[in-house]
Amino acid sequence: MDYSNPQIPEGINVSKTHPLSEFALLTVGVFGAITIIVLILGFFADKLAHYIPYKYESRITINYDFETYDNSPLQQYIQSLANRIAAAEQLPEEMRISVSVVESDTVNAFASLGGKIVFFTGLLEKIPNENALAMVMAHEIAHIKHRHPIRSLGRGVVVGLFVTLFSSAIGNDIVSNSMGNVSFISQLKFSRNNEEEADTTALDALQQIYGHINGAEDLFKILKEQESIHQIPEFFSTHPYTDGRIRHIESMKQNVGDKEALLTELPQQYNSWMNPSESNMNVNADL
Amino acid sequence: MLVTNLEIVPGKRIQKHYGLVQGSSVRAKHVGRDIMAGLKNVFGGELKGYTELLQESRQEATDRMIEQARAVGANAVLNVRFSTSSVTAGAAELFAYGTAVILE
Amino acid sequence: MLELITLIVLLALGYGFGRVAELRHYRSIQSREAQYRNLPAIATKFPDPSLRPRETNLVTGNVVISVDYFKRFLSQLRNIVGGRVKAYETLLDRARREAILRMKEDAHSQGASLIFNVKLETSSIYKGKGRAIGSVEVLAYGTAFMD
Repeated sequence: MDYSNPQIPEGINVSKTHPLSEFALLTVGVFGAITIIVLILGFFADKLAHYIPYKYESRITINYDFETYDNSPLQQYIQSLANRIAAAEQLPEEMRISVSVVESDTVNAFASLGGKIVFFTGLLEKIPNENALAMVMAHEIAHIKHRHPIRSLGRGVVVGLFVTLFSSAIGNDIVSNSMGNVSFISQLKFSRNNEEEADTTALDALQQIYGHINGAEDLFKILKEQESIHQIPEFFSTHPYTDGRIRHIESMKQNVGDKEALLTELPQQYNSWMNPSESNMNVNADL
Repeated sequence: MLVTNLEIVPGKRIQKHYGLVQGSSVRAKHVGRDIMAGLKNVFGGELKGYTELLQESRQEATDRMIEQARAVGANAVLNVRFSTSSVTAGAAELFAYGTAVILE
Repeated sequence: MLELITLIVLLALGYGFGRVAELRHYRSIQSREAQYRNLPAIATKFPDPSLRPRETNLVTGNVVISVDYFKRFLSQLRNIVGGRVKAYETLLDRARREAILRMKEDAHSQGASLIFNVKLETSSIYKGKGRAIGSVEVLAYGTAFMD
């Protein structure tokens, strides 16, 4: 018998597709599908969350462990501003805004479930006039008005559930990590839309209260100063570009309000409220 | 000791069968090798450490099988097979078995 | 953001190094296959009865090959949609041919001219964290006939 060893042609057991073309097809296909599913789920969760009665929302209380300035003159001033703006934004009777002022360097403020709004002193210290403060307040109240906190919670729960179920089903590390990120990035679109909606409502409220929207851009100038350290692309951000938001205000100014109108000053004691002396602290404790 | 994975040896007659003989070796790799393997998992390519480790433990399994065969008084092991199974994460059993015989 | 950059860097490294390594490996496999052209590896367990080898011996060859990050990523994506996992085809092809070559090298060093009853055994190695199996061991063994 003759035993031979012929040469077998290459490429019979190996596909000829270029790996990069397969990569492009798979990433676009899989992550595109995930994005679409997340957007659809997010859209419906968002719409459904709107039907949760506000009284249920108020029952979800989140305890923030903050040192607050409750009942201080600062808090009372900000609360009264909140009440004026809430009236201007025509908040339903049941939506009650409660403002807390929190001692922190963070330059930020946020609105949470049940009409709770938190201001950090880091932001308050940088506010140059009442109009800028009113802009923050009107923006946060607009979030409450449009029920953004409960809607984002609803979206988070539904999308989170989907991602968890899907990741555990595929059970491999690289893709489930990337999937979490993709779904997170897709959800940011909702967040940016909410911010734009809140900005528009806030500017309308300012126009009603002061008759102009001057000073609103001062807020975003403060934010821009903070951002300059590390700017991330808008696509990866929960908020629209600050530049874009300033431009939005400028373009609105073309249509409404008196461009020359004077800004409203903050109360004279505003800065001293921020750094209460020892005696003041004692008085607060007594109150 | 003659070791083959054929069932016959050309030109030789089997005089006596001693039945199954087997050798096994369970080995785990040490952390250093895991770290190298982690790198290779990014770049791809041969994991030389693993190749050698498996070769050594397979040799040990074969040696143990031969030892069994010698102990029963055989002079050849026929129809030898290898099998590999992972016992836990990071450890593998290498197993060799065959038929111990006496050849003329 | 940082995670995305890490992922892209790892994918690029995996693709670049993996591709170079694969091309180089294929070239080496082809040249060595040509070198052992006159040493047939036969899968039958019944050698021709007329063969009278001076000696027979078990010969083995094994190799552990790991797939690169890029291909692992591809295969995991492929896992979701199903279908042919093309990324692993070259890995297994290379591993099997390399193992056979090493077996032939073993046989050649003992002066063999034929290898009978060649068996191939494939097992996955790296079953550690994340269940990501990206490495295979291929063992090739057979009986070498020396004359």
